Amino acid sequence: MTPSSATVAALLAGLLLSVTGTPAAADNGLDFFESKIRPVLVANCYACHSAEAKTRMGGLSLDTRDGIQEGGQRGHAVVPEDVESSLILSVLRYDGDLKMPPGGRLPDEVVSDFERWIRMGAPDPRETEVKESKSTIDLERGRGYWAFQTPRRPDLPRVADIQWPRGTIDQLVLASLEQRGLRPAQDASKADLLRRVTFDLTGLPPTAEELQAFVDDRSEHAYAKVVDRLLESDRFGERWGRHWLDVVRYADTVGRTRNLPFPVAWKYRDYVIESFNKDKPFDRFIREQMAGDLLPYDSASERVENQIATGFLAIGAHDLNEPDAKQFDMDVADEMINVSTRSFLALSVGCARCHDHKFDPIPTTDYYALAGIFRSSDLRSGLRRRPRFNAGYFRTHKLIQLDGVPEFTSANAGEVRAERERLWKALQAAEKAGDRAECRKLARALGKLPLPENLAMGVVEAPKPAATRVNVGGDPHALGVPVDRGFVQVLYPEQAELPQIGNRESGRLQLADWLTRRDNPLTARVMANRVWRHMLGTGIVATVDNFGAMGRQPVNQGLLDYLAVQFTDQEWSVKSLVREVALSRTYRLASSPVEANLEIDPDNDYFWRANVRRLEAESVRDSVLLVSGELRTGAPPPSPVHGFDRNQLINTGNRQVSSWEIDETYRSVYVPVIRNQASRLFEAFDFPEPSETHGDRDVTTSPTQALFLMNSAFVSANADVAAERLLAAVNGDAQRVRQAFRQALSREPSLQEVDAALGAIRDAARELASSSADRSGRVAARAWVDALASAALERTFNEDEIASAMDYIERHQPEAGSSVESAARAFLDSDGVFRRGRVLGMLQSALGWDLTRPEKAAALKKVREWWARAIKTRATGEWTTLASAGSPEQEAWSLLYHALYNSAEFRYRF
Amino acid sequence: MASDFTGRRDFLRRAAAGFGYTAFASLASMEALSANGAKNPLLPREPHFEAKAKRVIFLFMQGAPTQHETFDYNPELLKHAGQHSETKLAIGTQGGKILAPVFKFLPSGESGLPISEVFPHLRQHADEMCLLNGMHTDSPAHPQASIFTHTGSITFVRPSMGAWVVYGLGTENQDLPGFVTMNPPPVGGALMYGSAFLPASYQGTRLSIGDGQDPLENIHNARMGMDEQRRHLDYVQDLNRGQLARPGAGDQVEGVIQSYELAFRMQSAIPGVMDISSEPEGVRARYGLDDKETSEFGTQCLLARRMAERGVRFIELGHRGWDHHNNLRKRLTQTAYATDKPIAALITDLKQRGMLDETLIVWGGEFGRSTYEQNDKSDGRRHNNRGYTMWMAGGGVKGGMRYGRSDANGVAVDDRMHLHDLHATMLHLLGLHHTRLTYRYAGRDFRLTDVHGRVVKELLA
Repeated sequence: MTPSSATVAALLAGLLLSVTGTPAAADNGLDFFESKIRPVLVANCYACHSAEAKTRMGGLSLDTRDGIQEGGQRGHAVVPEDVESSLILSVLRYDGDLKMPPGGRLPDEVVSDFERWIRMGAPDPRETEVKESKSTIDLERGRGYWAFQTPRRPDLPRVADIQWPRGTIDQLVLASLEQRGLRPAQDASKADLLRRVTFDLTGLPPTAEELQAFVDDRSEHAYAKVVDRLLESDRFGERWGRHWLDVVRYADTVGRTRNLPFPVAWKYRDYVIESFNKDKPFDRFIREQMAGDLLPYDSASERVENQIATGFLAIGAHDLNEPDAKQFDMDVADEMINVSTRSFLALSVGCARCHDHKFDPIPTTDYYALAGIFRSSDLRSGLRRRPRFNAGYFRTHKLIQLDGVPEFTSANAGEVRAERERLWKALQAAEKAGDRAECRKLARALGKLPLPENLAMGVVEAPKPAATRVNVGGDPHALGVPVDRGFVQVLYPEQAELPQIGNRESGRLQLADWLTRRDNPLTARVMANRVWRHMLGTGIVATVDNFGAMGRQPVNQGLLDYLAVQFTDQEWSVKSLVREVALSRTYRLASSPVEANLEIDPDNDYFWRANVRRLEAESVRDSVLLVSGELRTGAPPPSPVHGFDRNQLINTGNRQVSSWEIDETYRSVYVPVIRNQASRLFEAFDFPEPSETHGDRDVTTSPTQALFLMNSAFVSANADVAAERLLAAVNGDAQRVRQAFRQALSREPSLQEVDAALGAIRDAARELASSSADRSGRVAARAWVDALASAALERTFNEDEIASAMDYIERHQPEAGSSVESAARAFLDSDGVFRRGRVLGMLQSALGWDLTRPEKAAALKKVREWWARAIKTRATGEWTTLASAGSPEQEAWSLLYHALYNSAEFRYRF
Repeated sequence: MASDFTGRRDFLRRAAAGFGYTAFASLASMEALSANGAKNPLLPREPHFEAKAKRVIFLFMQGAPTQHETFDYNPELLKHAGQHSETKLAIGTQGGKILAPVFKFLPSGESGLPISEVFPHLRQHADEMCLLNGMHTDSPAHPQASIFTHTGSITFVRPSMGAWVVYGLGTENQDLPGFVTMNPPPVGGALMYGSAFLPASYQGTRLSIGDGQDPLENIHNARMGMDEQRRHLDYVQDLNRGQLARPGAGDQVEGVIQSYELAFRMQSAIPGVMDISSEPEGVRARYGLDDKETSEFGTQCLLARRMAERGVRFIELGHRGWDHHNNLRKRLTQTAYATDKPIAALITDLKQRGMLDETLIVWGGEFGRSTYEQNDKSDGRRHNNRGYTMWMAGGGVKGGMRYGRSDANGVAVDDRMHLHDLHATMLHLLGLHHTRLTYRYAGRDFRLTDVHGRVVKELLA
């Protein structure tokens, strides 16, 4: 600030000029402050932003000159003379996202007084120091909010149409519809209903046989039988486990800036799937994840399960490159707070890290009460922060050891342990010596040692549990008062006895107890709402991860409370709740609209019809595989991540990860989730970003989806297999068309559709026959070229390269005999091809044209292995058979499946 | 701003007002997309206010380029060369001996803007350039700062600026993605072009240039020629149209039908954009395609121009290798050489086509470098997030000007500009209020600048 500009500003503001040029000394400036500014601050701001207030909201004090100029979390409230940079103005003007005071905008003249005052240089006589201060949050008032009161079973409302409801859910829904002048849609058709419930419960479409059986079953309980069959299926846990994995931000790598593998995260994943399959009571499930290591147990296997469950807290996205150790520790605790409060309570307590929660009655001290619990627990993610030279992130000691599980079932445990210790000592020595190359070498060796089988991710009690001090403004170096460990205060039932946390424990056990108390107002509601969302498409509270003031209000609180109470009454059984919803008439409504309702509730907020839903990425892939008959059930033993180099960063284009969902045919829930690098298929179909809680998924319709379904080898190869199986299993073309429709779309085709399909197949077959002489050979050669590129270069060829390779094969086919294989072999062996054009330079360097003969043989072997794997999806086994397998007829039927996979209907359930 | 999209009528009004040939060229396809009222999230939308810039080309120079040998002429360095600076610029740095610039600065253009001799071609565009010499940012670590540069957040997963821009403005060419990123550096990863909680349509489409891969996966059908595929697609679309009548599902089915048509068009449009063989030899040479050192980035720059012509909204180019802890003289010579000619050619081409005014070019890395040397063994500079340089050109920015200054210690002192301010200013140049471009997620409104950001009006032409 320069004196002259202050003077000019004062002049411009129409005030008496200050000859000293020091604004604070200008009498009029101070008078102005005293008459126009201070009274406004006292009346409107001090309640939250002063030493007298319970908390300095936003870290901002407005009761001293230093305080107002230093500002709060967002920056300087007042910058003398600088109207642009003085945040207080935009806040007072109500033109930014932060609007103050909260009660309403102050009159224009007051705002312009502030502006004028700032232009004057913000003269301010208040010279006291900034004091630490207390919260202004009124917890008593906060408890009045609907979500913070324990749910009670609602009285059954009266309905006009007493015939309609089948049970309590329907009665509650119908009452809310009638109240708004809405009426329920008609019931869904049997075929639609079967497809819907099969997808919703298992993530898969019904098979043609299941469809037939259901349509044929005219008994009263036909539908209930289907629901029970699906609930009993192991596919249920794979579907509902995946929902939970979305919520707990499950991933197989740590993500962020140093993306390293979590080689044993999959144990937690499988634990989740199994828990849903055996219908583990949800309160138990929460307690295991929060404090499994501290729970009593009856058997060795129960103990192991409990230990693995705490992986919930350990699989977060941590920044291993964070240079500040204190910051890192607080970030880890923050991550645990976030996932715990958003998953179980649908509250974003994380907001209170730097300031009292802006919208919900959660003071900063609540945050640090929880932080104390998690800071008193030690993270066991297997990874250490910032190892020297980025070498040696992974450390077996940084995982938990499962009780009673042998380190290795094979006999070499001692050897591996000795080798590990030797390498580790050497690494430490090399770190000390500053030997970068040696560190990297040792880290690589460590990262490839066999992984003991008794390890899992999780947390353990810290050696010295303690209260955490408030980090003022979220800064781990600016410490405030220590806060006793505890929970979210607004959720304490007033009379309740709170669990006491002892000096020698973290408090996770007490937190788990508190979360699963019947009178916790949120836990049961939040999960019941998640179940409803997965069945109906939207939650009763639409913001499934946020029940706070900034979330949406419940559209039918009675219904939500009924489900919550019912859930706890039925021993927290997820399956019972799913069953009750599935059997309700509300769930079984058609998706077709009732015209009259569209005026009143166009978005179907009140559930008067079923929502049309697009399948999740996993279901799209799994459906393609199921229809072709290729889907493998069960989990791959173990996850491929298990085999990664554990000290190697996951970079983009990492082949071992990126093609797994194409090369393997296990269900999608078992595809490794690599942070920062979603598979293209999953990404296209809105797989959620796996670093944060996502109880809800986006639904987009994009050309990338179309490109995948139209052009990927995965889809066409599966169509081939489906066609091959169809031709072998079903006789008669019309029957075949019907069967394909049943498999892919879960319905009978119309007569016109059968005709159209037969027409398309005939046309395609005719065309294919006319060009089929070398077509299949071409396809095979093309596949060979793809395989070559993938295996030898770990990438795909571009079109130019393929063209020149195909060209070569075509020209050499006669010389090499008629076999495409020998031509392709010749291609691999040919110097000429590799030396031509821009393809060749690349191949030359990638293949290393100076390869010795044995190396060349090894490369060839690799190609063949890859090829054998790739061909598996065609269920043939040998590439040579491919050349003869693709008859025009079969290819034409393959096109029918391809068309069905690409049809809009395929990706929806109605 | 709510997530409701400008309707078809608004678009037609806008198109009638005229915003260029490309808009009309793809009018038909856009009409088809919006005829059913289905939400195509990529349709062009009105900015908050009139603005010159219609698109952004962001030249991301990863590794933290030195400002002292490129665009920040700081006579203090000469004056204090050899003296010890105590200023800690990044964690782990303890100050050091101030190193005089190892390259000369030359007055350039009519404005006489001082630009380093390592950019002989770029210097010729000095009068278009606005040097931001008072930049500062929050982290001196490459990955964090790279992510921060793109998303404005180090701590959380947030949408990238390209995603925000396409969310705000849609895109002009419905045959191409609205946000394209070429060769994004691996440090920072997909977060740099992600959409986080914004709908997935806004994320960047990643293209790999110069490594021989297909630039976009699944853009070719290996089995069918275009005619064959069209016939196949016609059958699929017949099937789909049969479903349009299904009560309550029309919108979704229509959306799928349109996405297939766009995908089909992209199959033709993408290779068309990528095929630079049709460019005259002179143009290719100007971009340095005939030189091994410049051809990769030259290809990116030429593609950027072709995409800009075709109405892609946000185009990002990646170049690595600016982390010069040692051998500064030699290594900077290489990195500068690799980019100088291509960027100059890009500006020349845009100017010639009258497109520079409506294209905002932004150049910069994730932070800058210290005024003092790394050590006395070799020329090199340490990390510095407290003062660095970026520059902008075109798109309604004042040319031939410097804004901001750093002192002998390398700390931005006058007319400081935080990265949030850069984001705010970029959005402003595109006609978007950075405080109004918001998206509601997890219960609150988010924006690119979080609660920060100042539009630096001094830079506006």
